[in-house]
Amino acid sequence: MPVIELEGIQMDVDEDGFIQDPATWNEALAVAIAKTEDVEELTEDHWKVVSYLREYYQQFGIAPMIRKLCKETGYDLKTIYELFPSGPAKGACKIAGLPKPTGCV
Amino acid sequence: MTTPSDTTTNTSLQPYPFHIEPSAVPDFDRRAEKFLAAFAAILDHSNYRFLVELYARVTARCGRCAASCQVYQASSDPRDVPCYRTGLLLDVYRQHLSDSGRWFNRLVSEDSLGSDKIDEMAELFYRCTACRRCSLDCPLGIDHGLIARLGRYVLSEAGIAPKGLVVSVREQLEGPTGNTSAIPLPALLDNLEFLQDEISETKAALVKFPVDQAGAEYIFFPAVSDYLMEADTLMGNAAVLHAAGISWTIGSQYFDGINYGLFYNDWVLERIIQKLVGEAHRLQARKILVGECGHAARSARQFVPAFANGQGLPVVSILELTWQALREGKLRLKKDAVTERVTYHDPCNIARSGWIVDQPRRLLCSFVGDFVEMQPHGRENYCCGGGGGLVSLDETYDFRMRVSGKLKAEQIQASGAQIVATPCANCKKQLRELVAYYKLPVQVVGVHDLVLRAIEL
Repeated sequence: MPVIELEGIQMDVDEDGFIQDPATWNEALAVAIAKTEDVEELTEDHWKVVSYLREYYQQFGIAPMIRKLCKETGYDLKTIYELFPSGPAKGACKIAGLPKPTGCV
Repeated sequence: MTTPSDTTTNTSLQPYPFHIEPSAVPDFDRRAEKFLAAFAAILDHSNYRFLVELYARVTARCGRCAASCQVYQASSDPRDVPCYRTGLLLDVYRQHLSDSGRWFNRLVSEDSLGSDKIDEMAELFYRCTACRRCSLDCPLGIDHGLIARLGRYVLSEAGIAPKGLVVSVREQLEGPTGNTSAIPLPALLDNLEFLQDEISETKAALVKFPVDQAGAEYIFFPAVSDYLMEADTLMGNAAVLHAAGISWTIGSQYFDGINYGLFYNDWVLERIIQKLVGEAHRLQARKILVGECGHAARSARQFVPAFANGQGLPVVSILELTWQALREGKLRLKKDAVTERVTYHDPCNIARSGWIVDQPRRLLCSFVGDFVEMQPHGRENYCCGGGGGLVSLDETYDFRMRVSGKLKAEQIQASGAQIVATPCANCKKQLRELVAYYKLPVQVVGVHDLVLRAIEL
């Protein structure tokens, strides 16, 4: 099982770098994962997306529909891709500590 | 077309180009033995033996299929020629499982099946996108896509199957959400409410997404990922059903059209079909309506009659239904509503047989001013490059971009289209990744995304 190391603490991740236990997520971990997704610094814009994803995940147990993410955060899809180059599902959700999306996503 | 130089490395520790779950193959070193046992069991308990025996006798390895295979065209690797790949499985049959082969082996040869053969098959059967384009050209009528699939089936019974497919299927058949994208029911209901609000904002009409309406004419199964990724497709679907006055429902107990069994395993295929049919009967629906998804439509259409235990019901694609509604004058689509140049990508699973080729084109041409075709298209189309389940395996990304999707990217570029419309969740994902990879100024959408723009409610 691959691991990500953050300030000496090792965390299990899957083959694609998604953390295995979403409950272990914290903001420092988000910063560490972000660096693996070509996001050098998490700005206020990034945090807005990440926070919404976590909020929705905690309520519904899944990521929100992409259209809803755009509408609720006020960023269009192009902006989301600028913020998270690997996209909303693979980049933003990974940084927000959500499980890896399955199926045709 | 130049290939971008940036590449991601495959960090898989497995010997295959896809991840597998180590727990599925505890005795990995004995994989050849397990493969043979699984192959023998499948031949004994199915109708595959007749087919394999026939193919083993007639195959000539003439290589004509090389010209029709887009993977081989892009890779120039002789191992990608469809009849070479088919030959691997047929050789195992001839040498180890046919009557003559068994005797010959016992009397003369000491050959046993090596792990290297298993590994070669595992690699090559998942370099095939199961598009079945080569089946159009084989002079001996061999369906190499079917053999690749049989090979995958045997491999999966020996524990070797892509984790991306297996994990999704496990959630669908045994998990708490019962669908491949693991969407809990409350999230589905939240999404449906959101979509309803979106339509009422943009179209000023009340279009409902009915749930658990017993006795509806149609029960609707899209690729469940549409509920996360394809808002416009779903809104277009609902707008058509509303405008045409068709009674329909979504089932709360089962709402996923995806059937990865079509890609790698028969009993998975059968169990998913039974879930589909079970939910249709629970709600006393009269027909199954499949959303924009090639493999979902084909698996239901082809296998509901076989696996529904005599309880089968008709399967209709949303593309057939929308075209029929338009023909019957039930839809008002604003002429020239779409002014960009549009082309249509045929999903292999619905086009190769000729089932759905003309309907979406006629539909699109009724409101698209500038429609162009890719060459070739229709039954002879090129695959998006992500078929056969590959698009659900992130670790195949490099291969899908640089090899299997290369000809499709060239076709799209040559068409000069600004929009590629395609009615398939798999194709949409692959084509979006392709146009981003090759930096093509093209938008990839569903057919009903455009219908939504044109429809007057």
